[in-house]
Amino acid sequence: MSLRQILLVLKREYMTRIRSKAFILATILIPLGMVAFVGIVIGISVWDSDTQQTIGIADQTEVLYPRLEEMAPDRYQNLSDLTQDSLRTLVQQEEIDGFIVLDESHIGGERDPEFISSGSGGLKLQNTLRTDLREVIRNERLARANVSEDVQKIYESDISLTTTKLTETGKETEDDTGFLTIVGIIMGAIIFGAISGYGGLITRSVIEEKTNRIIEVIASSVKPIELLFGKLAGIGALALTQMTFWVASLLGLAAAAGPLAGLFLSEQMSNMPQASQTAQASQGIDPEIFSIPAIETSLIIYFAIFFILGYLIYASIFAAIGSAVDSEADTQQYMFPVMVPIFVAYFIMFQTMNNPDGTLSVIGSLIPFCTPIVMITRIAITDVPFWQISLSILLMIGTFIGTMWLSAKVYSVGILSYGKNTNWKELMKWIRQG
Amino acid sequence: MAVIEVNNISKSFGDTRAVDNVSFEIPKGRIFGLLGPNGAGKTTAIRIINHILIADSGTVTINGYPVSPKTQSMIGYMPEERGLYKKMKVGEQLIYLAQLKGLSHEEAKKKIRYWLDRFEASAWFDKKIGELSKGMSQKIQFIATIAHNPDIYIFDEPFSGLDPINSEMLKEIVIELRDNGSTILFSTHRMEQVEQMCDDICLFNNGKAVLNGNLREIKQRYGKNTINIEFEGDDAFLDELQEVRINNRSANYAEIRVLNGQSMQDILKKAMNHAQIYKFERVEPSLTEIFISTVGEDNINPKELS
Repeated sequence: MSLRQILLVLKREYMTRIRSKAFILATILIPLGMVAFVGIVIGISVWDSDTQQTIGIADQTEVLYPRLEEMAPDRYQNLSDLTQDSLRTLVQQEEIDGFIVLDESHIGGERDPEFISSGSGGLKLQNTLRTDLREVIRNERLARANVSEDVQKIYESDISLTTTKLTETGKETEDDTGFLTIVGIIMGAIIFGAISGYGGLITRSVIEEKTNRIIEVIASSVKPIELLFGKLAGIGALALTQMTFWVASLLGLAAAAGPLAGLFLSEQMSNMPQASQTAQASQGIDPEIFSIPAIETSLIIYFAIFFILGYLIYASIFAAIGSAVDSEADTQQYMFPVMVPIFVAYFIMFQTMNNPDGTLSVIGSLIPFCTPIVMITRIAITDVPFWQISLSILLMIGTFIGTMWLSAKVYSVGILSYGKNTNWKELMKWIRQG
Repeated sequence: MAVIEVNNISKSFGDTRAVDNVSFEIPKGRIFGLLGPNGAGKTTAIRIINHILIADSGTVTINGYPVSPKTQSMIGYMPEERGLYKKMKVGEQLIYLAQLKGLSHEEAKKKIRYWLDRFEASAWFDKKIGELSKGMSQKIQFIATIAHNPDIYIFDEPFSGLDPINSEMLKEIVIELRDNGSTILFSTHRMEQVEQMCDDICLFNNGKAVLNGNLREIKQRYGKNTINIEFEGDDAFLDELQEVRINNRSANYAEIRVLNGQSMQDILKKAMNHAQIYKFERVEPSLTEIFISTVGEDNINPKELS
């Protein structure tokens, strides 16, 4: 194998693509598209939570409705003078979304309130109603029990959880699990997207050389294995360039976003009426609140390792697929079995998000075809034992050697065969021949 | 010493023996024609010589070296299926291909400039291949084959798909290359091109080399056993002739191979009774005829020879 030839192929693959308009556009548009997508998702959820349900309250106790009204005046409507029948009619006519009849027995706790609805609203509404009712009934009972103010305060206290993570060195750090989970999912998703995207690019690039018929000219100067290595490395370098650009702009944005958000918010504060300003002033706005927690360098290094190894394993397979067919339309029968493990890994990743040390996640992160996606998510979220990381890396290297060996055989026969309707049997023959 | 030496090479694909125990050698400074119908094994043999395929058995040496990446750069190869990267610029692409053959970037650029000038194509240096016409890209393809200045050229079916102007140009250049001392191997299934250009030939059929040697000697060996006849009138008399094989027949022309000592005078008489004779000539057989008589009429599909 000649390094000079590999480098020449690498340079061509890299240079012709990086200058192409399609690549430059994709590099700019894909992140914008993702931002737009996230924006739309957030937009939908915000817009969605704005829809207001109206719940009729027939309050025979005359004390519970005022408390509910105080909590959420838009949600609850006092319909105490209506009969149950007319309430039912209102629900059927969709004037209100549902109603609840409250009487003394509910305050006493002898019976549970019944929510009668048209079925709209879903689980979220039921949860809200349950919480609201629990609170107003509890408060009413507290009031009636005539307990001291101290006890009432105890019940009013609202607990939120601050979390601290104890690292192995014994240092207590602020727990960023929530943030790191998002980072892990994003990294896994990026590897997922990159493997399928760049894999497709490899396949197309091999098919292009076949359909252009330049392959034989190249094959009379370069060994198939040199061409294959050059191609994988060239497109891999392209992928790394794109990633570096994206990560750099992401970090740049993140670094700029925190202070900017702080600045923006404190400006808003100063425009507020005097009274509330004095109330807030004592707290002050610390721009630090808005800066993102630091991503450890080791995580970025692991990301690079798993990205590169994952790319190499799949790229070698995708190159073999490209060489076995005459046109992109024929790739289906081979693409499907290759895409299955990628998608399985993608789904395991969402399991990993909830339970990073669960059996499924551990096994998934050790299966080389799933490792790049699952393992990086685990590493981001939790402390993965070092032996698991090293084992997964070794397994991936071994797998790459295997796929590359098979791929080289298929590739060296495939690039020169035209017009044959290749099938799995034929491929097996090529592997034995090669 | 032979520039290309092919010794007993065989190559099978599954159950098909594409090349079956073939040997030939090509002396320096000659034009060597590899001929035979489609699917006879010519392209497989050429790919083995170019070290694109590896023979199952047998050896090939180029200038005395066994085939290897090193011998690849001694050869300028134009495959039957021609093609270039459509999205790459002409200059860039030619430099890349020449670099793959071992030239440095500077050398490659100089050579490419020279050849583009010579083909009056300098203005295309920064054009993409996709923007060129078919004739133009054929010229570029040709430059890609010769730019690294090899002393051996291999053309697989060089004339297929060429327009007449490029075809004529290629023929002139091939002969010029030979006159400058280069060795040329080309394959074709068109016999008349071989007769016009080749010094030596090797006939392929079903993976075997059935005839091999100097074209002139081969033809002399067959003697003047063929009649070229030009006439006007009813050509039905041709069908009545016995013990002959008629090749290249048209409304007023026929090439008649006389078999088993059939008298040529009788044929002439018969012809005169039926038609006006413009020309009646005893000649050496055409390559098509030689090919048919070598492999036997039943063993080939005549439509594959044109």
